[in-house]
Amino acid sequence: MRPILLQGHTRSLTQIKYNYEGDLLFTVAKDQVVNVWYSHNGERLGTYHGHVGAIWTVDVNSTSSILLTGSADNTAKLWEVRTGKCLHTWEFKTAVKRVAFSEDDSMALLVTEQHMGYPGSVTIYSVKNDINAEQSDEPIKSIINQEGSKAMVAAWGYLNRYIITGHENGEISQYDWKTGDKIKSIHPHTSVITDLQMSEDRTYFITSSKDKSAQIFESNTLNPLKKYVTDAPLNSASIAPIQDFVILGGGQDAMIVTSTLMSQGKFECRFWHKILEEEVGRVKGHFGPINTIAVHPDGKSFSSGGEDGYVRVHHFDEDYFKFKYPEL
Amino acid sequence: MLIGSVRNVTKSSWADEVGEEFDLPFETYTDENGVKTIIEYKTNDDGKKVKVTRKIKKTLITERVNKVAAERKKWAKFGDERGKKAGPDLSTTSIGEQIFLKLSTTGKLAESVEESELNKKKAALIGKKILCRICKGDHFTTKCPYKDTLQPLDELNKDLEATKEAVPANEPIAPESSTGGKYIPPGMRPGTKSTTSDSYKERRDDATIRVTNLSGDTTEADIHDLFRRFGNISRVYLARDRETNVCKGFAFVSFVLRDDAAKALQAINGYGYDNLILRVEWAKSSS
Repeated sequence: MRPILLQGHTRSLTQIKYNYEGDLLFTVAKDQVVNVWYSHNGERLGTYHGHVGAIWTVDVNSTSSILLTGSADNTAKLWEVRTGKCLHTWEFKTAVKRVAFSEDDSMALLVTEQHMGYPGSVTIYSVKNDINAEQSDEPIKSIINQEGSKAMVAAWGYLNRYIITGHENGEISQYDWKTGDKIKSIHPHTSVITDLQMSEDRTYFITSSKDKSAQIFESNTLNPLKKYVTDAPLNSASIAPIQDFVILGGGQDAMIVTSTLMSQGKFECRFWHKILEEEVGRVKGHFGPINTIAVHPDGKSFSSGGEDGYVRVHHFDEDYFKFKYPEL
Repeated sequence: MLIGSVRNVTKSSWADEVGEEFDLPFETYTDENGVKTIIEYKTNDDGKKVKVTRKIKKTLITERVNKVAAERKKWAKFGDERGKKAGPDLSTTSIGEQIFLKLSTTGKLAESVEESELNKKKAALIGKKILCRICKGDHFTTKCPYKDTLQPLDELNKDLEATKEAVPANEPIAPESSTGGKYIPPGMRPGTKSTTSDSYKERRDDATIRVTNLSGDTTEADIHDLFRRFGNISRVYLARDRETNVCKGFAFVSFVLRDDAAKALQAINGYGYDNLILRVEWAKSSS
């Protein structure tokens, strides 16, 4: 396969996200601009200007009408996807590290950083999906993390039942967002959780961690299902449809990259068999750590964004779909 | 999608084309496979008539796209892309090099583990000097160029010792090794190499062997390579033709120790080298 290289960012990528149909790819980086691309040919549809800090996170609602971004300028912004117009800005005391629309688009969760004496929090706002509507500035609920490790990533459980958060110390917690109570908490990783992505039906999710492993958990019980142990710190993990694969990405920390050989950096997308927990293949290309991975919802392509500032869109070859594990 | 294959195209300036396109015959036909052939005749820069045949095959590839997604493809560009024409812009989008995702069930992990083990081995060997058991070269014994023709040195020594035991009395080295109560200075003791006595030993002919039946393109370095494994060589003399500088087919190899020379004689006598069978004997003193 020949990857499509998207050079729309001047700094390292922080998150990339496909919309529901997978025809649009949203990319955010530390360079304050949001880009949106057509995923089939890599054509840039537009850019969203307004943030004045590094953008950490992006999410789009299921109808691809409203985009939500969170930035280090202590704001989260709602955008009209089609025109690039900023619809609303929520202001916070600290940077917004992760945003996610709820399953029905009616709400959004925003994870804020713990910084300068302000505790980290998970705040939930209601979102009106009409682009002309006035958005509410009053949060539905704000879960403030008073003690314990701060939340890094978060996602909605199925049917908006609960919120699952991944923490800096490797903990994973399940919160009742209506009351703000912690329902369950486990401590499966030994280092910071870098990514948390839900399966298509949100019944299970995958986490990646700097402790060089990725794990799959059941959403409802937080039972660990699978574990993939690699040889490099992981920054992102994603579950692929069609084939029973998970795609993991990471590599050595950007700090020590300059002092190591590129071949030792382990900047590859690793394909692991989801069920058998075996590595099946790798995709090379980035010359820096991979920060974020997203799989097209139809499973026919995937994209990775790296510390090197590139987004690489890979459309799988025919033999990918023919691949069968002999044991199965 | 359009797949065009162009044949026999002679490029001419577009300005010339305009005038000439219509006054020369022009034919097109489509065959049963749907390949459209266009034959044009035009005059090129040299004033010669050129026949241009172009074959074009049109293949329609239908791709099902979600309705809303198809609708979104018609959206106007915005932001930095405002007003730009449709299609990927080369400044932001490029095609990367061909890469392969080789899916394997054998577990690429195992391979990488093997790799790291190999690296570990290599790392462990960094401090040590790799020494071939056969030819004493700085490579592994398994990679020795002589591994099929020569036996390892320690085996050779064993053989030698066996023969020594069989004929202990007649060996000239024997009295040296069994000195009895007589004092021998350390430098003169067998198996020791003294720096002071080197020059003396070099001239001693009893540690020199004569190698004959060498091929014409043998060099001193080859001789060194061949005999280095038996011990320290003090001198190699390769007889060369005075005019052509080609090897005359024999050489003298002086070892520091007579034992080494004996070993070399034992091993290399009758050894096939460069398609010739070498003959090794003790060098006769010139006197």
